[in-house]
Amino acid sequence: MDLTLIVVLVIALALFFDFTNGFHDTANAMATPIATGALRPKVAVALAAVLNLVGAFLSTEVAKTISGGIIKEGDGGVLITPELIFAGLIGAIVWNMVTWLLGLPSSSSHALFGGLIGAALMGALLSGAGENPVDFAVVVSKVVLPAILAPLTAGLVAYLATKLAYAITRRYDGKPDGRDGFRHAQIFSSSLVALAHGTNDAQKTMGVITLTLVAAGLQSSSSDVQWWVIVTCAVAIALGTYMGGWRIIRTLGTGLTDVKPAQGFAAETATAATILASSHVGFALSTTQVASGSVIGSGLGRRGSKVRWRTAGRIGVGWLLTLPAAGAVGALAALIAGLGPIGVIIDAILGAGVIITIFLLSQRNEVSASNVVSEVADSGRAVKIKRNPKPKKGKVSK
Amino acid sequence: MIDWLSFLLVLVAALVSACVVVSAYALGIRLLTVSGRTPIVTPAEFTDAITIVSPAEIRQAEKRAAKAARKSPLSEGQKRAALVGAWACFAVSALAVLVGVYLIIGEHLFKIFS
Repeated sequence: MDLTLIVVLVIALALFFDFTNGFHDTANAMATPIATGALRPKVAVALAAVLNLVGAFLSTEVAKTISGGIIKEGDGGVLITPELIFAGLIGAIVWNMVTWLLGLPSSSSHALFGGLIGAALMGALLSGAGENPVDFAVVVSKVVLPAILAPLTAGLVAYLATKLAYAITRRYDGKPDGRDGFRHAQIFSSSLVALAHGTNDAQKTMGVITLTLVAAGLQSSSSDVQWWVIVTCAVAIALGTYMGGWRIIRTLGTGLTDVKPAQGFAAETATAATILASSHVGFALSTTQVASGSVIGSGLGRRGSKVRWRTAGRIGVGWLLTLPAAGAVGALAALIAGLGPIGVIIDAILGAGVIITIFLLSQRNEVSASNVVSEVADSGRAVKIKRNPKPKKGKVSK
Repeated sequence: MIDWLSFLLVLVAALVSACVVVSAYALGIRLLTVSGRTPIVTPAEFTDAITIVSPAEIRQAEKRAAKAARKSPLSEGQKRAALVGAWACFAVSALAVLVGVYLIIGEHLFKIFS
């Protein structure tokens, strides 16, 4: 296979993955301010896009290994070839698109890990090397356990923060409590999450591209990231963010629980605090899983609000499937790529076909900035609701 | 396997920092309300059935806030103290945001400018 062709294909695919990563994760930062009306939907995604762009430019540290130790790379393990990365990326992108179609927030990095694991296992099988290239102990400690701990941690933090926010502002004399004021704060807490996301996630793709260039011998392993890699990755994630994964924003903003300003602020603050703490202690947690946990926790923390556990359950199932599903697609892609150059081209065509099909399917019930949270508003205007019933001590009230 | 100590550290750090920030801001809002300046921030877009606010309702809310402020039993001095306290609380939250920004990009900035 012409080495440069596969390298070009991998770079294109990696940038597309970056793009899906962007629109998949807009919701983490911007779902709650959009749901409470703190920001207009278009303004919110534009803000998130700018912050992601800035964050991506500021992040200069790029991962040294593509899989963070999950796959035994180099000596004694599997050789990470551009074909393998290509297959892994296809698995990750297809899973990202499927979860977007279903409106499920799911971790893009876990999808990438899954795709690579599948591709590596298939690669080892094809090459006849009996050794298992995947370190499953690392899979458990880096992917499975954090996936359980992240939402629990964020949920607990958000629950307590929400309780505090409401307890401090609650007035039993029925006078205005000023909780509208939390809308201003929401803008800042969400921006913090968006900025943190930009610094973390764009560099994942930069790592993939840089390692591909190194593997192809186009760049020495000691040199820094090329400037064009930083620029293209930053632009791809910002564009993806600006597209706004409206389906996921709807799920996170209105599907799990009805978010109110104080609650949204508490949830985003919990998300930001958990992510910052985790990235500084070096105990990596997925932004998506933290953000989802926060929204559920804040829903539990506000009196009279309901958490729709059916939606939460669907999201949980999505997380369970992320690794095996992306892995299965990655393995299939690796199997086809094993045919040689023609296989890679078949892969590319099949991948493009799946992406276009999912996009066409999504057009049947399009979710966009105009209808992301407003569908119920019209019915709300028609029904007279008694607003702000007076809070009573000890009783549950809205 | 898994580093439980660092996980515990993450949990405690996140819990303490989030609770401090949220409490400071909430206290700020409470004091602002006490000082007679109830914040009325209408949604940028009228979104769902729960938060929907019509212009008439906004005027109503403003009227109620003004009435509550008039009827406040606090003296002018007390109100002023509450206002100062409110802004002190908001300053704490703002500081926390700056610390957050520093945690995210501080290291990178050092690297770029050094």
